[in-house]
Amino acid sequence: MNQHANDQPAHKTALAAQSLSVGYGERLVIPALSLEITMGAITALVGPNGSGKSTVLKTLARLIAPRAGVVYLDGKAISSLPTREVARQLAILPQGPTAPEELTVGELVEQGRYPHAGPLRMLREQDQAAIRQALAQANMLELRERRLDSLSGGERQRAWIALALAQSTPILLLDEPTTFLDVGHQLEVLTLIQQLNRRQGKTIVLVLHDLNQAARFAERIIALRDGRIVADGAPRDVLTADLLAEVFQVKAAIINHPVDGLPVCLPYESNA
Amino acid sequence: MIQRLTARYYSLLILLSLLVLFVLFVLHVAVGSVAISPATVIAALFNQPVEPFQHIIIWDLRLPRALIALLVGAMFGLAGAILQVIMRNPLAEPEMTGATSGAVLFAVLWLALAPAQTAQPGPVLPFVALIGGLVGGALVYLLSWQGQHDPVLLVLTGVLISAVLRSAISIILLLRQEVIGTVLLWLIGSLNGLVWTQLDVLWPWALIALSLGLTCASLANVLQLGEENATSLGLNVPLTRLGLFFVAALLTASAVAIVGGITFLGLLAPHLARRAVGADARRLFPFSMLVGAGILLAADTLTQAISQPVSIPVGAALALLGVPFFLYLVWRRKP
Repeated sequence: MNQHANDQPAHKTALAAQSLSVGYGERLVIPALSLEITMGAITALVGPNGSGKSTVLKTLARLIAPRAGVVYLDGKAISSLPTREVARQLAILPQGPTAPEELTVGELVEQGRYPHAGPLRMLREQDQAAIRQALAQANMLELRERRLDSLSGGERQRAWIALALAQSTPILLLDEPTTFLDVGHQLEVLTLIQQLNRRQGKTIVLVLHDLNQAARFAERIIALRDGRIVADGAPRDVLTADLLAEVFQVKAAIINHPVDGLPVCLPYESNA
Repeated sequence: MIQRLTARYYSLLILLSLLVLFVLFVLHVAVGSVAISPATVIAALFNQPVEPFQHIIIWDLRLPRALIALLVGAMFGLAGAILQVIMRNPLAEPEMTGATSGAVLFAVLWLALAPAQTAQPGPVLPFVALIGGLVGGALVYLLSWQGQHDPVLLVLTGVLISAVLRSAISIILLLRQEVIGTVLLWLIGSLNGLVWTQLDVLWPWALIALSLGLTCASLANVLQLGEENATSLGLNVPLTRLGLFFVAALLTASAVAIVGGITFLGLLAPHLARRAVGADARRLFPFSMLVGAGILLAADTLTQAISQPVSIPVGAALALLGVPFFLYLVWRRKP
């Protein structure tokens, strides 16, 4: 599954961070971090709570301004680009988003067209088509007229994913898109993300808690601890007993999945 | 199919509300110390011949008051709807901009410090109050600024500043008790004695602020998804928030400048509107205006009908009726 063939011989960089330093108030979360996100790939950010995964993701998406360092979108400093132009290139779905509960799914997803809207903000033919496509991809077409307060957790998450999809951006950043979902809905969402990558060539960066899902759906895993990159590479190279001990403070056995041979980690004891 | 039905539902609702509003408007003009039949009111409004004294009562006394109620109700309704979007809080109300207490404070100061004005509020007072309202709004906005704006901080600052300004008003009134008589009705919020002079001051501001607010509806829609989502969608969040806050403060300040501090209307109208048309600001904003105008017209008609010859200010009646009604709405929501 993760042996995703990249057709481009030269890996182009979609997003790059150069010596990023990010903090909240007194606290420095990311001391100095550099990374490059390959275009057309699925990259997973993993790490323990407080390791700075979400902060990295938000900084890459210009939701947080770094204290030092630069984020490059397609080679240009993201802070120098108009925010609406960035919004046509890159969509981010933050963790636990909230909207007025009386909003319908359709009204929510429609907002995804904001960065593409003309001067009168009227929805044109192509906007309607993009909204319909986003709803269809997220399997939300039938729930279009439903209010958010009438949705289940899984439906709600898919509605927000549809919003990000309606933005029609080549780059998609998702912060723990599977939280609050049962295992069936988790796989459904991740499979959808994989399809978006394979069929439309979208560049995807995910923050994931579940290491086995990261190994299954991402072709590259970046492990963070205390705001620093500890490991970066293919799932098989990153998911090792040593790394799990170092990053998550757990003893774990790594086995191969009996069905498809992907690496699976089975933690069994805390080192903390 | 479903989509077309909802669009039709909405158009129907708007049409129905306009009809109800027209009926309320006619009733408002008809009710007073001298009762006039609704048929006569409609005839007079369309310039058909009616008894001369009825024509005078309708055109010189009651029509401006009804028009002011219409505009002011719409303004409080829209201001409340806008604030609920900015603060992401369904309990936000226009008073939290600081514009209400700012306007009242400036007006009281003006009446207390300019003795020549005390006999008659005059046409200058609304402008003084308007400036006061905008100053109050600016104060709240600047004091809640901490490098960026946190909606919760904005709510807290609004409540605190309003409380401080209100206590300043009380102190001034205690020191200059002769002013109380002039501003009492206005402190409570009242439509009593309003004529074309006040309407002439109000309508240009109403027109500007209402249209500004309605144009911002699609920006408000993006903003109400939260700061991070709105930024992700390419919205300039600080600028949009400032713009909407300014519009809400302008609506509140110019409405308060004419009728005084009417409470609960800005909380109640958007609340009811949201139940009917949902949270999409392109529907919520105009509908909050309609509901606000309807409530104020109905409340003023009612208070005039039951409180002859002593007329209770509509602000007092609204607060009296609004609180239990709002509590009922809150209780009904619970499972």
